[in-house]
Amino acid sequence: MATIAYEPRRPNISSANVQLPAVRDYEQVDDDIIATLRPTKAWFLMLMTAVACLALGLGAFLYQLHQGLGVAGYNPPVMWGVYIITFVFWVGIGHAGTLISAILYLFRAGFRTTIYRCAEAMTVFAVMTAGLFPIIHLGRPWKFFWLIPYPNWRLLWPQFKSPLVWDVFAISTYLTISTTFLFVGLIPDIAVLRDRETNPLRRRILAFLSFGWRNTEREWRHFARAYLFLAAVSTPLVLSVHSVVSFDFAMAITPGWHTTIFPPYFVAGAIFSGIGMVFTIIIPIRKWFRLQHYVTINHLDAAAKLCLTTSMIVGCAYLVEFFIAWYGGVQAEQDYFWNRVFGQWWWAAWIMLTCNMILPLTLFSQKLRRNPAWLWILSIFINIGMWFERFVIVVPSLSHEFEPWQWTTYSPTWVDYSILIGSFGWFFMWFLLFVRQLPVVAISETKEIVPPRVRHVHVHTPEDAEDFEPQTGRAH
Amino acid sequence: MRGVLGHFRELDSAVDAITELKHARLGDVTVFTPTPRHELEHAVQPPKSPVRMYMLFGGLAGCVFGYWIPIWASNYWPLVVGGKAIGSWIPYTIFGFEVFVLVGALSTVAGLFIHAGVPRLTMMVGYDPRFSRGDYGVWVECPPDRLGSAEALLRKHGAVEVRGER
Repeated sequence: MATIAYEPRRPNISSANVQLPAVRDYEQVDDDIIATLRPTKAWFLMLMTAVACLALGLGAFLYQLHQGLGVAGYNPPVMWGVYIITFVFWVGIGHAGTLISAILYLFRAGFRTTIYRCAEAMTVFAVMTAGLFPIIHLGRPWKFFWLIPYPNWRLLWPQFKSPLVWDVFAISTYLTISTTFLFVGLIPDIAVLRDRETNPLRRRILAFLSFGWRNTEREWRHFARAYLFLAAVSTPLVLSVHSVVSFDFAMAITPGWHTTIFPPYFVAGAIFSGIGMVFTIIIPIRKWFRLQHYVTINHLDAAAKLCLTTSMIVGCAYLVEFFIAWYGGVQAEQDYFWNRVFGQWWWAAWIMLTCNMILPLTLFSQKLRRNPAWLWILSIFINIGMWFERFVIVVPSLSHEFEPWQWTTYSPTWVDYSILIGSFGWFFMWFLLFVRQLPVVAISETKEIVPPRVRHVHVHTPEDAEDFEPQTGRAH
Repeated sequence: MRGVLGHFRELDSAVDAITELKHARLGDVTVFTPTPRHELEHAVQPPKSPVRMYMLFGGLAGCVFGYWIPIWASNYWPLVVGGKAIGSWIPYTIFGFEVFVLVGALSTVAGLFIHAGVPRLTMMVGYDPRFSRGDYGVWVECPPDRLGSAEALLRKHGAVEVRGER
């Protein structure tokens, strides 16, 4: 006879416990998560707001197409502005998803289970948003496909030594793999939706999307192996993509850019900003969908520790940049960093330092780590701080290069701001549509951390047995 | 082929039934489970998944292609810079790596589909929507003369429902 052993679980106290004490059985997981798919007035309202923001951005882009790039705030030699800043910002946001779903999967970090689907979807939509910006930034955006190597009549090929072509490969690979990772993980959950669906049309659509998944042990075995290998290749991919994005800067001999610290600095910043966006999204979702017993305070606490760690790595990188400028002894570098923090761009640099280095230090307090309201407010500061980090990287370098006669300033115009707002509309529109059609918490993986129903329970110690309920495998 | 399906509410009952079915060699056993459980895997004792080979060979093919495209294009249309290699393998490692990941990952998914038998247009015999919710199913495919023994064995281990299917 098989006896299945379980440790009795403790209530949701402050600990590293990432199990779900308030979830009784598999059926409850189905019911609770499928309940999030019902549309509400608040959802429609948010969707309309997102579409309105998108319409504003689209209108501004069409105006720019008609008038030319001069309507954006470019001021030579500052020829990279809000579009490149926002591109790097969204690519960075896209990093936390794969970090949470792939890297934490390989590390067997249990707190990822209930938040990774949300983070994966965020990744796909963030990379979709990021991919638009190099195209918006082009003078002739309809020629963007020239960057893709394809056989053509004129026998022309892109310059493979250019970081912009590296970007095309890195971003398109990342988008493809993130989407694949998200969809493969969704297949068993779509099968659950298919089996619970009563509307015949929706049921047929879900049956098609689930590929006829039947939950056999054979399917799960190959699924688990494929998922592991996808996670294994996604992990270096995450690190490579933002490294490649950092090469866009580091390959140029420009003060503040030409440094070998850029790849790890960018990767840490990307993961930090992504975790910030995960908090921005997951905290309202757990409240509105009443998922507090799935995304528990312990999960948020663990994610907050990750946020604090990455914040300190980013803070360390900021300080090392200053050290390199001082120790390198290059006058242009030293002047640039002085100008960045105490000169022309002091306000942007101090927004960055306050939001990314100083405020996250509050997460050393366990009380604040376990306070969802504070985590949400902090996440907004992190989002703002990380956008300004990219502003501080892009604009001060270009406006303060080697030749003093070239020194200038930069002010974004309404077109830049509108397209920036439009990018948030585009991102949230897709995300809101996603949360209403597909489960925002992974059903099958959540079931893995819920004890199965068993007939014969074996507990580890005699004293634990006194407090144990055999039917549910749960402590009183 | 005919068979018999046992429907279990508890994991350990299903594990016991599978273990004894395997021991008795009554027929091929297919297990339905709402989520992967190592207890079931131990009971079924399946062979190792070959999906990892798709990653290996797909990834290697992708890596070779990722290096080949820029090297070939650089030689086909040389942009000569004094003292610099025309086909420079250091920056081209980015393409080698990215295409390695791309083709390797897509091959892995192809391997998953091939070996898991998806996509399929019709549901398999014996499938029940309750198996995606919280219950376990054990489908034994066996000749007619062994159906009775399989059914008795499934009932003995606590199957809440046993039915014959073809």
